[in-house]
Amino acid sequence: MVDFIILGIVVGVSYGLLALPLSLLFIATGTVDFALGAYAVLAGLVCFVVGGPLGMVAGILSAVLAASLVGLVSRLLDHNRRSDHLTLVLASFGFAIFLESFVLSTFGEQPYVRQPFTDYWDILGTRVSPQAGVNLAAALVVLAVTFGLLYATPVGRMMRASAINPRGATLAGIPVHIMRASTFVFAGLLAGIAGVLHLYTSGLSYSSGMHLALSGFGAAIIFGLKSPLRAFLGGIAIGVVESLSNGYLPSHVATVVPLFFIFGILILQGTSRTFSGGRA
Amino acid sequence: MIEKWSALIVLVLAVLAAIGMGSNAAWLGTSTLIAIYSLLALSVGITYGQAGILSVAQGAFASMGAYATGILTARYGISPFLTLPVSVLLPALVALPLARLVSPLSPLVLAIATLMFATIVEILLRGGGDLTGGYIGLSGIPPLFDAQTPVTFNLIAWFAVVVVVFLYANLMNSAWGRAINTVRHDPMRAVADGTNVTRLQSLVFTLGAGMAGLAGWLYAHQLSFISPDLFGIPVSINAILMAVVGGAGVILGPVAGAVVLSFFYEFLPGQESRGMFYGAALILTLVVAPSGLLGFTRFRRRSPAVRRGAVSAGAVPGKVAS
Repeated sequence: MVDFIILGIVVGVSYGLLALPLSLLFIATGTVDFALGAYAVLAGLVCFVVGGPLGMVAGILSAVLAASLVGLVSRLLDHNRRSDHLTLVLASFGFAIFLESFVLSTFGEQPYVRQPFTDYWDILGTRVSPQAGVNLAAALVVLAVTFGLLYATPVGRMMRASAINPRGATLAGIPVHIMRASTFVFAGLLAGIAGVLHLYTSGLSYSSGMHLALSGFGAAIIFGLKSPLRAFLGGIAIGVVESLSNGYLPSHVATVVPLFFIFGILILQGTSRTFSGGRA
Repeated sequence: MIEKWSALIVLVLAVLAAIGMGSNAAWLGTSTLIAIYSLLALSVGITYGQAGILSVAQGAFASMGAYATGILTARYGISPFLTLPVSVLLPALVALPLARLVSPLSPLVLAIATLMFATIVEILLRGGGDLTGGYIGLSGIPPLFDAQTPVTFNLIAWFAVVVVVFLYANLMNSAWGRAINTVRHDPMRAVADGTNVTRLQSLVFTLGAGMAGLAGWLYAHQLSFISPDLFGIPVSINAILMAVVGGAGVILGPVAGAVVLSFFYEFLPGQESRGMFYGAALILTLVVAPSGLLGFTRFRRRSPAVRRGAVSAGAVPGKVAS
């Protein structure tokens, strides 16, 4: 029981890493970028090919660059006065397809993985790679920085204001478009970090982007998208549920259980709202 | 005006295309696939374009339709035409309670919930053991009738598209259609008009699921083989992209999108770099023509109402404006 929970937390941290930028984007722009998983893949593979500490920087920079492109696209979509958030979601699907194909034609089909640690930690009888510790530490640092940025700096206040009420924020002199664009760039940075950590944990291939984005989104949404901390905890919760169901249930049932878990929580969120007319 | 003649336009173009293609097998295959994709994209058109519900589960509904007919015809030897109602009704009956559950959710969360649902369906089909054939899928699904050729099947597929477009245009031209449009634009207003918003949305969602089931029925009998990943999430997303590129709010938009994107995909060079052109084309369409390639047919009708300032754009169903 304890070992499954520990393993679940290890997996959950990597989900939480991607849930963070998703939730940050949602807080600051009200939309979701499904290409985040693809940035992570790009970052991981660039990191592998360049190699060394320089590789990590190059990888993260490539993710930032890709995210800036989507920020630009979102700016263009806004320009057409389409405030429909779903349009950007669709555009991000398009960008995810673009990046997946780009990665496939540049880096090929094979999975890339790098595991620098050979000896394992023993926590309560469970073998855990020290990489899990690195991931957890990195995640906590990223979480702290994100929180600091959002809730303790003027920039964070401006970001939150432009998400809650763009028109009001404009009237208050906040450069809403610049805020949005910088959120995309920051989310790209976080996704890049997550991608590099994934490369060192379980590895990446060209097609893992969509799966990463979906598990990150599932993690971000179950406890509410409105807080990065909840998003991160959501990732851990899903990791634990997945690990427990893998441990105690037959294999084809086990893959469905985490999905049912997310689905159930989503439905509960919907029905608990006593609002009959419009949809929020 | 154009929307009234939608079905006729599809009929004429499909017949002309069929005459032009003759019995060229490769062209007929592409044409049939476009028809099937048109049906899937039309189901996105009615749920997303008209009612504003973005469902990523249309592929899952199509696979329910395909598996229903596959199991009944290949295992129990029932005539494909008798399984047609099953293929349409089964996804619809699954969609009805699902719609009740998801329709109170916000649009974004709803899309994710349907995505989760689609993944669950795919996993269940894989784990279905002997009934669904597991990972390998079902093979030996009989053709619609003994003398089936690519020519006749292509005609049947496009006939299905014509019927669906006709019914769809008819629905959108009725009081129901106007209520559906009002719900998308302003749910509060719809409630004030006496519309039961949740029920109406559930019904549209159910209709869309039935359309997707029809697409699955056709696909199963064309391929004579089905597997769980045939209608996976990429297919659902593809159908959404087709609808959006063609114009999800226009009745013929999804069909146009299916034709354009299928041709685009067919003639792109290079297997690996294909997605780059595809994704770029999609983003370009969203930026340049946000309401789709056929979106202009709506703009022209909308503009007088906007100028009067009486009713805001988008709320105006065809008839009120003209």
